[in-house]
Amino acid sequence: MAPTGSAWHEGLSRVDRRVLFLAVAAAVALPLLFPLNLPIRISQEARAFHREMEGVAPGRVILLSFDYEPDTMAELDPMSLAVLRHAFGRGVRVVAMTTYAGGVGIAERILAQAAAEAGKSYGTDYAFLGYNPDYSATMLRIGESLRGAYPTDNYGRPTDELPLLQGVDRYAEIPLVVTISASALSEYWVIWAGGKYHARIIAGNTAIQAVLIYPFLQTGQLAGMLGGLKGAAEYERLVGRDGAGVRGMDAQSLAHFLIVLFILLGNLGYLLQRRVRARETRV
Amino acid sequence: MSATDAGVIVAAVLTLAIFSFLYRDNPFYRFAESLLVGVSAGYYVVHYFDSGVVHKFWVPVVQQKQFWLLPGGLLGLLMLARLWPRVQWISRFAIAFYVAAWSGYLIPSVLQERILKQVAGSLLPAAGSASLGAFLGAALVLCGVVAILVYFYFSAEHRGLAGRVSRVGILVLMLGFGASFGYTVMGRLSLLIGRFQFLFQDLPASLRHLSH
Repeated sequence: MAPTGSAWHEGLSRVDRRVLFLAVAAAVALPLLFPLNLPIRISQEARAFHREMEGVAPGRVILLSFDYEPDTMAELDPMSLAVLRHAFGRGVRVVAMTTYAGGVGIAERILAQAAAEAGKSYGTDYAFLGYNPDYSATMLRIGESLRGAYPTDNYGRPTDELPLLQGVDRYAEIPLVVTISASALSEYWVIWAGGKYHARIIAGNTAIQAVLIYPFLQTGQLAGMLGGLKGAAEYERLVGRDGAGVRGMDAQSLAHFLIVLFILLGNLGYLLQRRVRARETRV
Repeated sequence: MSATDAGVIVAAVLTLAIFSFLYRDNPFYRFAESLLVGVSAGYYVVHYFDSGVVHKFWVPVVQQKQFWLLPGGLLGLLMLARLWPRVQWISRFAIAFYVAAWSGYLIPSVLQERILKQVAGSLLPAAGSASLGAFLGAALVLCGVVAILVYFYFSAEHRGLAGRVSRVGILVLMLGFGASFGYTVMGRLSLLIGRFQFLFQDLPASLRHLSH
């Protein structure tokens, strides 16, 4: 039998999960419909990421790898789009690729959007090489020859004929490698492109992956990084063009506040129940 | 109605079908889940076959006469022997080659980039920090690493000083797990935000196109 007067704190531990789902849904939906414009603090790692992009001279070619699939689009699409807007806005050219078969459609869509906004042409300002099986072998091969790793682009056009790639065939000729990654791919870029060929690398990662990537930033193996939707929002602010990252941050903050509240209430309920049980045992 | 608008509406219906699982299991959820698995399997089989077998083997060997790729193709074929129990052992040749080659590639590189540089990154900043704050931060990281290593050292009983240091190691580990959990929450919420942005922005736009 439940102890008298304990019902309210027992209730704290027995909230129907559907109530929690509804509360989280409301906390996410409302700020998207009615933005709060909460402040966004820019982290050192996002500044480093931005600084590296700013350091690439106009006209040079950077390598952008879409290392993710549709399951993490919500977090990583804003980063990819912001990188392309930043690069195209500064006259930096981009050769893009993906290490995931599921990343082809994503890369095509975002490249087309950013190129249309900036009025960039395929083949001269940017190119998409597509998917190549075995990411490690691809990363290693680019160290010897990008055109060897990708004899044709994603649309079957020989890479030898792309004006963008004239004089660009190895990491040594690419000032910056940008990986937008949902998995351990950032680590593999560090190992193969960074360790073996001394490529300069910056990485945008999902929030879950970011914790594992921080050590590579601390050692300087990565020159900059973005973590999750917050990283995307910070970078959008630095680039000066708000996008889905900034728009999502109000919802992110409110939902985090709610989850912390749930955790506190759940623990409060647990502690009070324990106290009541201890008192009953003594009696 | 354009193909994009049709795609957005179908995606929205499927998103709601998946969300319906939050209330309880139901046929709409099961249909959407099965559709996702089926479509994904079809997409990946075709993509892998095209990018791997056609573009990396068939085209170079048959059209460009790059016959030096044949041994690699043969090793790939041997892997298929796993499908027949009586000749399954043949696939071991291919696996042995793959394991040996990648061990040679991976072990020195991973040792260098993931272990030696990380060890150096934990030790050196404490010695060469430019400011007091940076020194304290680096020293904290170093102490944390040492404490965790003591916690994972099982050849001595965790008593006395070793016991106290390993307790610190547990605390540092808990801090790490806490940060990891926080990031996981952020990641999962980002996916929900992405779906809601899709439902609130892309879907209404496609519905407006339909009504015009």
